[in-house]
Amino acid sequence: MNTTSKSILSATGVVASVAAVIMGYRARQQADIGAVQVADNGVTIDRMVASRSNDINVPAGDYFYELSQKLKDQYVEPVTDDNKLVTGAIRGMILSLQDPQSQYLDRTQFASYLNARDGKFEGIGADFALVTGPNAAQLEAAHEQEAPATTAEDAVVSVQDIPRLQVVSVVPGGPADKAGVSVGDLVYSVDGHWVAQSEPIRKFRKALRDFNSKKISAAAINQLRTEIRAKADKAIMPVKAKDMLFLGKSGAVTVVWERKGVQRSTKITKLHSTMPGFQVSGNEIRLPFVPASANSLKHAIAGKSEVTIDLRNNTMGDLGSMKQCLEVIAPSGEYGNFTTFRHDKPTPLVVRKGNSNPPRITLVTDKSTRGAAEIFALALSSRGVAHLTGSETGGDRDVRSIFRLTDGSGYTLVTSVYKPTLGKAKRTIGGTR
Amino acid sequence: MKPVVKVISFGAVVGGCFLFGFCWPDIQRLKAPSTRAIGNLFGVRSTGGESPSIEFQHAYAEILTDYVKPVDRTNLKYAGMEGLMASLGDPHTIFMPPRAAAAFNDETRANFSGIGARLGGDPMGAKIVVVFDDSPASAAGVKAGNVVTAVEGKSVAGKETDDIVSLIKGQEGTVVHLTLIQKGKEKPVNLAIRRAKIIAPTVDSKYLADQQIGYMSIASFSEPTAAQFDKELGKLEAHPLKGLVIDLRENPGGLLETACDMLSRFVEDKVVVKMKFKDGKEDVARSYPGALHQFNYPIAVLMNEDSASAAEIYAGCLRDYGKAKLVGTHSYGKASVQNVFPLVDNSSAKITIAKYFLPVTPFFGRKVDAYGSYISGGLEPDLKVDLSNNPELVFGDVKTDNQLDKAITLLNPNAKF
Repeated sequence: MNTTSKSILSATGVVASVAAVIMGYRARQQADIGAVQVADNGVTIDRMVASRSNDINVPAGDYFYELSQKLKDQYVEPVTDDNKLVTGAIRGMILSLQDPQSQYLDRTQFASYLNARDGKFEGIGADFALVTGPNAAQLEAAHEQEAPATTAEDAVVSVQDIPRLQVVSVVPGGPADKAGVSVGDLVYSVDGHWVAQSEPIRKFRKALRDFNSKKISAAAINQLRTEIRAKADKAIMPVKAKDMLFLGKSGAVTVVWERKGVQRSTKITKLHSTMPGFQVSGNEIRLPFVPASANSLKHAIAGKSEVTIDLRNNTMGDLGSMKQCLEVIAPSGEYGNFTTFRHDKPTPLVVRKGNSNPPRITLVTDKSTRGAAEIFALALSSRGVAHLTGSETGGDRDVRSIFRLTDGSGYTLVTSVYKPTLGKAKRTIGGTR
Repeated sequence: MKPVVKVISFGAVVGGCFLFGFCWPDIQRLKAPSTRAIGNLFGVRSTGGESPSIEFQHAYAEILTDYVKPVDRTNLKYAGMEGLMASLGDPHTIFMPPRAAAAFNDETRANFSGIGARLGGDPMGAKIVVVFDDSPASAAGVKAGNVVTAVEGKSVAGKETDDIVSLIKGQEGTVVHLTLIQKGKEKPVNLAIRRAKIIAPTVDSKYLADQQIGYMSIASFSEPTAAQFDKELGKLEAHPLKGLVIDLRENPGGLLETACDMLSRFVEDKVVVKMKFKDGKEDVARSYPGALHQFNYPIAVLMNEDSASAAEIYAGCLRDYGKAKLVGTHSYGKASVQNVFPLVDNSSAKITIAKYFLPVTPFFGRKVDAYGSYISGGLEPDLKVDLSNNPELVFGDVKTDNQLDKAITLLNPNAKF
């Protein structure tokens, strides 16, 4: 090899090496930023850096990553569990929605939740809801009729609203049932821990105002203060109280219940209990909404001209399974809408093929008919496909998505609210054009 | 060299260069490259199961696009970051969104451009709680108890106090127009007040002539606190003194430097606090030489469960060096040091970087149960006195403040306990 070709070769080598360094660095930047993705609505997920202002200099990697790294580098104790950080962040986001129906559930809570949806209960054998206002079913009406606050002070005081924990279904023969607990009961305290409520706090704040304007005595305000301190010292939030009642297969809890203003104390031993599944006896069908329901329902109604479907004690139904059941039993058509508060178009609840020759359907409902079951009942009755007996449904028409996270925890997210069709739409149903 | 060897070694050199470039960010930071980055390089699109960062983004996108109500993306991000840091279970390791971060800066600096008043909540807007001496507000006739109902002609009824404060604050020398409700005046008053640099007082003193006791209350340990302490001490020492009560109740702490500075009046070049970091490294904060002051009278320190951090270091050192007795209830128990790290968009991360230990008192970090209620921790007082239930009680008022009363008794040379 001569000198010229040698020097060309070594020059090429140097250029190649420099190029390799640059390529390597570029590749790294790509790798660090690789998490960019586009969400459904076309908005670029902004690697968690405030997206609207592009003038912010984005360092390699995203915000979440940066903050996790910072903690690992700086925190006084070793930080090794990345899952703990991510679930903490997701929990924070869900909490910020301040929506009792959208909840982050840790591993134990999530497992119990999924089991209960399948009918396998633990704890005291009951399902609970966090309700705001005097009664969930009256909530909507209350919002409309609520008298406007007469003073700014009233408006300020009424802002704080801690939901109350209410029994929405009871497993027949389960521990709660045996202790006489019934749907609608409110939880006042668990194991001596007062379950926080807005009402006494509101009352105290009002009293404090009255005291400041010299309407009540110092002794009276001190009395109230002592009372509320005694409660607040051992207070727990409703979500925590739910855990104490909903989780665990052994041990006992002492619960003070409230029914129509009357308190009652019970000691209940936790035990595994099972909510009855799909059942047929004669023309009567008990219909929980689980993946196998549609198939069972199809067989159960075959050849029948009249059926009664029991939707009581039905609070955790799966919406997808419920839709399949509608296909089995309802004529094709639209059955109301799923709406949001986001100025987007409502999504209709559509039965596509449907059943052009359905039996006469009677639905049995009460306050323990909630979620998918309540939507089922409203969809059918609003279009005249079925008629309702029993009492008013529970007032939960939220559609929830359920997500499982890597570490076994999960969260629920309300994505829409069902609104039944109003008016006389009966004729268009099942119309085979 | 054989051609094969040449080709291989050439390839190795170029490959090495590529790797060098790839790892450059890590070399700068002196650590191993993240597996996440390597994974992405080889086309592994991490799903939730593989990358926490991506799992987080999935959830973020999900909530943003699918939640039943509109969600503000910035607030959602901040909520996520708050949750991330809260997951460590340390109440002092927290995320601070830009507004909170700015407020934190104001607090520790204790000087900013405003009108020189402290505001509190009020349904009509914001109530003036304290008007600082010699401030623009006091010159304009603003009094404690007045209520700000509008700023620049816009009503502020129903707004958060913090928001109202940030409307009132602004650049030094500019004018802010306030509408105030003042007692005894039928109509609201409009005032134009020129903003100025405000040094918020953190130390207040009064001489209790009947008992010949000096009473000094320290609200926090900010930058100007040491100088304010010296000034107030000078005022008190103009009188005959049988003792001094330093009130640290409700004092949430502040700057360690200030606490060291103020302890230098009592002890010279002594350990104030020993900090232990994550890697076993230790650091010691000492008092400074040359600032010693002669205290010819006994000292009592008042504290309660809201006395925390720098206030506890200050109180604990005074006791450990035999300079003061502690009176009241146990303190909060914040025995850790935080550093504030600024993040890209003016938010910050406040992170516990060390635990601290007093010269004599054993570790006093707060312990709480699952419900967040106090179990143990904090400094135990030498003389335990619970605050009385008297609704008329005013801190620093000998007639109603029973903790102060007990502290004064303790300062009597014949006192025994």
